[in-house]
Amino acid sequence: MSQRVRVTSPQTRLAMRRRADAMRRGSHQSGRAPIVSTAIDIEAAERALRRQRRLAVRTVALLGIALTALLLAADLAGGRLGWAVLFFMPYPVLLALAAIHVRRAERIEADPR
Amino acid sequence: MIGLASISLVLISSVVIGVWGVRAARSTPDFLVASRRIVPGWNALAIAGEYVSAASVLGLAGLLVKNGVGAMWYAVGFTGGYVLVAALVAGPMRRSGAYTVPDFAEYRLGSPRLRRMCGLVVLVIMLLYLIPQFKAAGVVLELVSGIPYWVGVVGAGLVVASTIAVGGMRAATYVQAFHYMVKLAFIAVPALFLIFLAGPARRAAAINPAEVDAEWMRPLLDLDGSGHPVLATVSVLVATTLGAMGLPHVVMRFHTVAGARAARRVAVGVIVLLGGFYLFPIVYGLLGRVVAPNPAETDIVTVLVPGEIAPGAVGAVLTALVAAGAFAAFLSTSSGLLLALAGGLSHDLFGGSLPRLRLGVAAGTGLAVALALPAAGVDINVLVGWAFAVAASTFCPLLALGIWWRGLTATGATVGLLIGAGASTGAALASVFIDLEPGVVSILLSQPALWTVPMAFTAMILASRPSEIPEWADEAVLRLHLPTRSRKSVDAREETD
Repeated sequence: MSQRVRVTSPQTRLAMRRRADAMRRGSHQSGRAPIVSTAIDIEAAERALRRQRRLAVRTVALLGIALTALLLAADLAGGRLGWAVLFFMPYPVLLALAAIHVRRAERIEADPR
Repeated sequence: MIGLASISLVLISSVVIGVWGVRAARSTPDFLVASRRIVPGWNALAIAGEYVSAASVLGLAGLLVKNGVGAMWYAVGFTGGYVLVAALVAGPMRRSGAYTVPDFAEYRLGSPRLRRMCGLVVLVIMLLYLIPQFKAAGVVLELVSGIPYWVGVVGAGLVVASTIAVGGMRAATYVQAFHYMVKLAFIAVPALFLIFLAGPARRAAAINPAEVDAEWMRPLLDLDGSGHPVLATVSVLVATTLGAMGLPHVVMRFHTVAGARAARRVAVGVIVLLGGFYLFPIVYGLLGRVVAPNPAETDIVTVLVPGEIAPGAVGAVLTALVAAGAFAAFLSTSSGLLLALAGGLSHDLFGGSLPRLRLGVAAGTGLAVALALPAAGVDINVLVGWAFAVAASTFCPLLALGIWWRGLTATGATVGLLIGAGASTGAALASVFIDLEPGVVSILLSQPALWTVPMAFTAMILASRPSEIPEWADEAVLRLHLPTRSRKSVDAREETD
């Protein structure tokens, strides 16, 4: 005995749910749900996922290293300078990490290999 | 009285800007995410405006005076979270087309039960975050005008709920962008004046460790003298950086950006705005240690400092400005939180209709106000810290694994969420109700993220293993990372929308 299963893409499912919600309250939604029903290039997407994931893992690791280094630097600087290390150093480092990540992520998107 | 006047001014301007945006609030997507029409620059300002809460404006300086220089780590963690937002969630989340975290859970894992569970987690995080905001409003109003604490809390609740219920998110975006500027101006400008007015002796004392005990100056968080400052610091950092990534009201903001590229860039913009802002609460904390070392209430140091340094008319004006800045912090954060909470209540738990969404705002406010009344004695940053710890132990693994790992299944996510939410809230509650000797155990209960986050990740991965991955799940993940070029037409359509 086999069961029939309806197969829908996740975005279609979300959109259908929203439409059902709108129907239930008897009004028409003016906002259009972002439905992308086009077929996707699976191979390109696979490559993009792998490259972006590698980049993401690298950024997370760098963030961990940076925060650890900051913790050590602040504690080593000790009483007189410890506050100054925490005051001046973290934000430029965090900004650099994020900016570099975003630039690389955009480069990957601009150049799908 | 001048304090009350400046607070009223902030309030009135917020309502005016809010009403100006009302016309847009017509349907649920309009109300929740402004139908994606918000310009990126405004969005970064709005996220920072929403994010710089009472915990930053009041809690940080208070904690600095009470616990020492190590309190600055909170600010580092609050900001560091946006590196993770930029790297892990902003772009893919925007591409998913989901409005909220529960929405994303349904997109990725297709389970209505999981969606409702996420809705519940949203409620817990948002409530933990809201209570201290109302506490802040109460103590600030009490300080500047003598209104009893409970009157201030209830009044603040009424104001926030009515602004949100009338205008929705579109209004909130402009209101919150405005609040970032109010906060920066009203906290930063008085801070510069105060540094000048304090004079060389007090300036030197503020940054000179000679007369303070070494424990206070040690740049690590030694929570309640537990004797393990490195452990406590690391646990707070894990909670704040990973928690920022899973905060439902922050994640929701990224849906109002034009596309995935813009979403990532907004996250970078937020780091700039936060890094610029967080320098100033530290100034109040360092000066506060000199001029107001033993405040009656930890969380009012920021508002006390101007009066202590400059008695008379100048001090009164500066106090009024700072109080208005603190109130703006309360207003913006609580309206963003309430919106996410109301979204959780109506959209995710009861299947979304606009009247219910407004009802959700009212219900959420009532609950937060009722809980803020007995919470008068709890430090703001303690409560906010728990909100981050719960977010880090639930939505952080859900989003990180859901976006980057195709193996995640609905079963795995459910088990992980249950364990993460149970462990983190359980530990926080235990630290309140069980009287423990300060030590490793007390740190691990009051700052549980260090062990609850890895536990939630592990549970999600292990519980995902045995269950079968549905065939559409592959595509659900791949779509999140699809290069811009192959869907340029879609992004372009969204941008001109």
